[in-house]
Amino acid sequence: MRDQIDKYTGKLVADRSACADGIAFAAQDDVLITAGAPELAALAGNTLSRLNSLALVAARPSLPFADFLIARAGAGEECIVPQDTETRTFLHDIPFLRRRDLAGDPAPILAKLLGNRKGVIVEGVGIVAVGAITVEQAFINYSSVFHSTFVKYLQDVLADGFSLAGEREAFDAFRQQWLRPLSAAGLDFVGALSLEKEEILAEIERVGRYTVERGLVDSFFGNISASAGELIYISQTAASLDELKGCIDPVPADNSSTTGITASSELLAHRKVYEQTGARVILHGHPKFSVVMSMICDRKKECAIKDCWKDCPHVRELGGTPVVAGEIGAGGLARRVPPVIGASGSAIVYGHGVFTLGREGFGEAFAAMVDVENFCREEYFRQVDRKQGQKP
Amino acid sequence: MFGWTGKLLHVDLTRGTCERREIPTEILHAYLGGRGLGVRLMRDYFRLGPFEPDLPLIFAVGPLCGTNSPTAARLACVSRSPLTGTIYDCSAGGRFAWRLKAAGLDALFITGKSPQPVFLCVEGERAELHPAQSLWGKGVKETVAALKVHGSVTAIGPAGENGVLFANIMMGEGNSIGRGGLGAVMGAKGLKAITVQGDGVTGVADQERFDAARADVMRLFRASPVIFGELGIAEYGTPALVDLMAQRRMAPTENFRSTFFAESGNYSGPAIREECGARKEGCYGCPIQCKKASAAGEPLPEYETVNHFGALNGISDLHAIVKANSLCNELGLDTISAAATLSAFGEARGRFPDAAEVAGLLADIAYRHGQGELLSLGSRRVAEILGKPELSMSVKSLELPAYDPRGAYGMALAYVTSNRGGCHLRAYPISHEILRKPVPTDRFSFSGKARIIKIAEDVNAAVDSLVACKFAFFGATLEEYGELLSAVTGVEYGPESLKAIGERIYLTERFYNCANGFGRANDMLPQRFFEEAGSAGEGIDVPPIDRARFEEELQKYYRIRGLDERGCFGGRDLLAELP
Repeated sequence: MRDQIDKYTGKLVADRSACADGIAFAAQDDVLITAGAPELAALAGNTLSRLNSLALVAARPSLPFADFLIARAGAGEECIVPQDTETRTFLHDIPFLRRRDLAGDPAPILAKLLGNRKGVIVEGVGIVAVGAITVEQAFINYSSVFHSTFVKYLQDVLADGFSLAGEREAFDAFRQQWLRPLSAAGLDFVGALSLEKEEILAEIERVGRYTVERGLVDSFFGNISASAGELIYISQTAASLDELKGCIDPVPADNSSTTGITASSELLAHRKVYEQTGARVILHGHPKFSVVMSMICDRKKECAIKDCWKDCPHVRELGGTPVVAGEIGAGGLARRVPPVIGASGSAIVYGHGVFTLGREGFGEAFAAMVDVENFCREEYFRQVDRKQGQKP
Repeated sequence: MFGWTGKLLHVDLTRGTCERREIPTEILHAYLGGRGLGVRLMRDYFRLGPFEPDLPLIFAVGPLCGTNSPTAARLACVSRSPLTGTIYDCSAGGRFAWRLKAAGLDALFITGKSPQPVFLCVEGERAELHPAQSLWGKGVKETVAALKVHGSVTAIGPAGENGVLFANIMMGEGNSIGRGGLGAVMGAKGLKAITVQGDGVTGVADQERFDAARADVMRLFRASPVIFGELGIAEYGTPALVDLMAQRRMAPTENFRSTFFAESGNYSGPAIREECGARKEGCYGCPIQCKKASAAGEPLPEYETVNHFGALNGISDLHAIVKANSLCNELGLDTISAAATLSAFGEARGRFPDAAEVAGLLADIAYRHGQGELLSLGSRRVAEILGKPELSMSVKSLELPAYDPRGAYGMALAYVTSNRGGCHLRAYPISHEILRKPVPTDRFSFSGKARIIKIAEDVNAAVDSLVACKFAFFGATLEEYGELLSAVTGVEYGPESLKAIGERIYLTERFYNCANGFGRANDMLPQRFFEEAGSAGEGIDVPPIDRARFEEELQKYYRIRGLDERGCFGGRDLLAELP
């Protein structure tokens, strides 16, 4: 399991979600092993040894947003309730421990909290996440908590402004230093994708890597497909977009085979998009600013719909990209995205992510996703600045 | 009390008595229901032989049954298996469990032996034994038809009456209590059937919390391609796995001599839909509805059944497979063990049974006529009697299902650590090794599998005690089901406390088995898997399993479980430590 720990430590560094000197893993087979930053490794080992699970990660996030969320929470609050669909669906809520609750050995209380949830935020320490059966699962859960706190903090700042000492400075540092320009520059794509299987698989694998490397997904989730005559090649469910070799299912358009039962949960949405638009490829990611901006609606106060993320029937717009509601998988997204995506080549799903398409190849789809995210990023800061009374 | 009724019906068939008794609350809290409760109730009886009259046959529901918790209208049947000799449980759906709970019962505890065939009739608070001489010898359909006026029916067919070691108890709706031969235990007691009817309502402690948890579960079901995906089990039933197992080169073929059957497309999910007009059916209140029935309402075969009456015997005729399935249901035979026993017999005699021969052999087995007398003993005994013990593809005498262990090493390990013998459902590693849930694992690696299998066994023991369907966990987790359970019972449970309960149940089963002579020597796969390769193809090699690595992982598993090198408890008195 040490190779797995090394691999996912590297991924946490590469995606810049954790500080390189603040990452530790613990894993147990017939013996317990720990690795990484000594204090965090001790905490990870002491906590995991109390759990009937295989792995655990304890890491200090590269951004202080999780700590800010705890500091901004009310005195009686014990957890963060995420608003985005991914974390709402898979994490439900994220418990936290305040610094003042950490007297003595925090492992027992941490283990108790992780006995009920996949990840916990410990003020001043970091995010601790458990992997029930793999090291990778611990990494995924860490990444999901990081994504969730990122999105929620940005939402809260936009809604309520800054309220803590040092918060504005940290936010400015995030904006000016942590964030990097997002573009498709320097990436190679096949211009017009052929129907040849090997070319399609290689291109999907390559674009999957690009999507992760440019930060267009949380952990590595999202999905990619290409249509080729009577087949749809689509990434498998729970597949790492940066490691798609062997994880792409060919699914017959007529459902004459069920080999694709392992295909992405969004297979139905992809199929319907192909049917309604004639596109060649589809890319789906969870770029963070798009997720944040999709949940901002100026009609919320007067609207009778409360579960906007699944029930909103309206099509809103962000920079010309339609925004629709809809749950993952069989829950509605597949019904609402296909009718709106054709005109602009992209669509945002409320609190979830972005779908883009290419008429000939992935270059167009990737560029469209970058454009959507850049628009949302700019729009987000424009609105923050306006609320703060600053000039953009 | 919410969730539980706190009552069991104690039925003594020797004395002809039925008596309601209290179940201690602490036992319910510690073992939940279903498998856990049944295993706990076996504590004073686990050394009894499977056909000894005093051995209990237990039907136990769980605390979620009777609520609209998704997939929870289920029960576990627990006793000792005449096929394997191990403690045995089987989870089954349908309507029976729900009606049993509505009759105000958490369990039926049936002991003794009736001098004449009887059926047990439970109607609310009333419970009576009635003569069943006129039903003895009847098939399952006729029995159910005759008794359904009394409520939901579970019954044995001729196979159970005649002591076939892999006889099922059949639920009236087409579900079965399968694999381990508990139908023969019921038959040995002279109990032909049980009917249950009731109108009680299961109380929910916190309805608002329950509704929120249920919504979380349903959201995860909708997000799961295996459950509600357009190629998933809600659409095609478990035969959705036929194409996948063929592609992964792990569909057991011709008694596991190979792992690919070129004609499996004849009985794939889409083929069954097209040929049989498959429509959705399922257990009471289940949103998934994975069972499929023909246009005429005949239950259609599951994945295991189509593979074993298909590839395992070299048969590609879908209609012959459907007929074999229907015949097993009618006679009360387990389809996996029946087909696997025919396959071992076929290899031993040098010719697998053809489609036309199967029906006759199944009838012979159920009535123990001709060759059926031998075949009714299951593949392990058949192969031994024929002088070719290596041809039984079983673990602890339980025939292996339709996942070749050479194609999934967690499955290989889980087959041998299973407390009821070669079963895929104890740890269900197919979930992550093949179906990628909750996350994918490397199917050709043993790395980490000992710990993963141990955890999954604990999880599934809890799931079998809630009682929920394992298919629910292709989407949901114990996080959501723990929340449902807490909302229903008012007692706080979470994933970790549920896994602790599962571990308690698993270790109790293992302890019973060890006390009855099971140990390391029984935790072994058939030799074939260590010596012969499976079928390569599509860039996939299926080599023999590395025996040294397998045994290393098994020893790791024992250490993780706190067992000694023999896989047993040493001098530890486990039962004294447990509630």
